[in-house]
Amino acid sequence: MPIAEVIVTAAQAWLWIGAVVALVFLTIGMDRIDADARGAYVFRPLLVPGILLIWPLVLWRWWQIEAQSSPWAARYRAVRASYGLAVIAMSLGIIAIVALGLTARQSWPAGIAPIQLSDGTNE
Amino acid sequence: MSVKYVPVQWNPNKWLYDAIMLAAVAAFLWVFLYLSPKHDPAINAQIHNARAFGACAFMMLTVILCIGPLARLDRRFLPLLYNRRHFGVMTALVALTHAGFVINWYFAFSSINKYVGLLSANTSIGQVAGFPFELFGLFALVCLLLLAATSHDFWLKFLTPPVWKRLHYLIYAAYFAVVGHVALGILQDQRDHTVTALFLGGAAIVVVLHVTAWLSAESEASEASGTWAKVAPTAAFREGYARVTRLPNGDRVAVFLMDGQLSAISNACAHQNGPLGEGKIIDCLVTCPWHGFQYDVRSGRSPAPFTEKVPTYRLRLVNGTVEVHTDANPPGTYVDPLPLPTMQTEVVA
Repeated sequence: MPIAEVIVTAAQAWLWIGAVVALVFLTIGMDRIDADARGAYVFRPLLVPGILLIWPLVLWRWWQIEAQSSPWAARYRAVRASYGLAVIAMSLGIIAIVALGLTARQSWPAGIAPIQLSDGTNE
Repeated sequence: MSVKYVPVQWNPNKWLYDAIMLAAVAAFLWVFLYLSPKHDPAINAQIHNARAFGACAFMMLTVILCIGPLARLDRRFLPLLYNRRHFGVMTALVALTHAGFVINWYFAFSSINKYVGLLSANTSIGQVAGFPFELFGLFALVCLLLLAATSHDFWLKFLTPPVWKRLHYLIYAAYFAVVGHVALGILQDQRDHTVTALFLGGAAIVVVLHVTAWLSAESEASEASGTWAKVAPTAAFREGYARVTRLPNGDRVAVFLMDGQLSAISNACAHQNGPLGEGKIIDCLVTCPWHGFQYDVRSGRSPAPFTEKVPTYRLRLVNGTVEVHTDANPPGTYVDPLPLPTMQTEVVA
C-alpha cells in the first residue's frame, strides 16, 4: 500500500476512534469530572471536533482528574518562559523559508515552454 | 461551584467585534475577487476563489499574530486580544474553504481518492523549486482546526491552562508553515507584486513585533536575591490597584494595595488565566477583567458560594522596597497583609 494511502487510512481510523471517545466522554465522563458541565448540554456538540482531534489527550486528562493525580501547582505554572523559544524558532524559520523561496523564484520570458523538474510518479 | 458552560458568552462588545471582523473578511474577498486585476488569464473561477480565500486566511492569521505582541507593548490594544478566539475560529474556516476549493479542483477528477492524490501527486521533497508546498498548507490547516476546535472555555479548564497554552503554541508553527506554503507555492509564480509585498510585509511585521515583545518582557523580569524577588518601591503602589511583577521562574504575581496594606496573589485567574493584576479592588475583592471572577486578595479565594482559588504569596519590606517570596502558597492560603508605614499614616490621618 503506498504511504499516502496508509496516512489517509490512519487519519480515518484516528477520527473514528475519536468519535467513540467523544460519545462516551460527552455522555458519561464530562458529568463525572466537571461540576460546571452538569445540566449544561447545548455546548457539548461544540466539543466534538476537538475530541476527534486530540482524543488521547482527552483520555489522559480524564484519567488524571478521576485519579486526582495532578499536583495543584501545575495548574498555575506559567508557560511564558517558552515564548522566547517559540518566537526565535518561528522568526528564524520564516526568514529562512522566505529567503529560500525568493532564491528559487525564477523569471521566465512570456510564452516559454514548461520544463519538467523531476520524473513523474506514473512513469 | 462556578458558572455553567454555554456555547458562547455573548456580550455587546463581542457582537461588535464579530460584525467588524465579518465585514472586513467580506470586503477583502470582494476586492480580491471583483476589483483586483487578474494577472493570470489562464485561471478559472475555482482557482481564483481558492487564491482569494488563501490570501484572506494569510492576512487574518497575520493580524491575529500581531494582536498578542501589540497588546503586550501597548495596553490600548487589549480589547482586540479579549475576543481573539472568534477571530481564530473564523480564520480556520476561511483556510478550510481555501483547502476545499483547491482539493475539489486539482485532485477531484481522478480515479484515486482526492486526499491520497494530495499526498502523492508531488513527493519531491528534496528540491526547493517544485517542493510539495501543499504539505506546509496541510500542516497549517490541521493546526488551525485543532486550535479552533479547542477554543471553548471548557478546554482551558479541562486541559489546565499550561497544557492548553502549550497546545496553542502551535499557532507559531502554523504561521511558519503558512509562510512556507506561500513562499514555495504561489510566490514562485506571482506576477502581482502587490500580493508579494503584502505577504513579505505581513511576515516581517509579525517577526518584528514578536521579537520586540519578547525582548520587552525579558527586560521586565524582576531582580531576585535567593528566594525573594523585588517588586517595586512602596511609593509606586496605588490604592485599590496592583503592580504585576514577573518572577525568575516566569510566574506573574499581582501585588495589591488595599486599605494601606499589601497582598499578593497569582496574576493568573483560576478560570482562564485572565490578568487579575489588571482588575480593581472593590469590597476586598479583585475582579478579573476577562470574565468577572472575583477573589479576596488576602486569601486568593472566591466569595461563597463560589469555590475558585488562586495561589497567594508572602511579602516583605526591605529598605523601602517591597519584595515577594518566589514560592507560591497553595491556592486559597490566607496571608496576613503587609502594612505600608507611610500609607498607614495617611489612612489613620
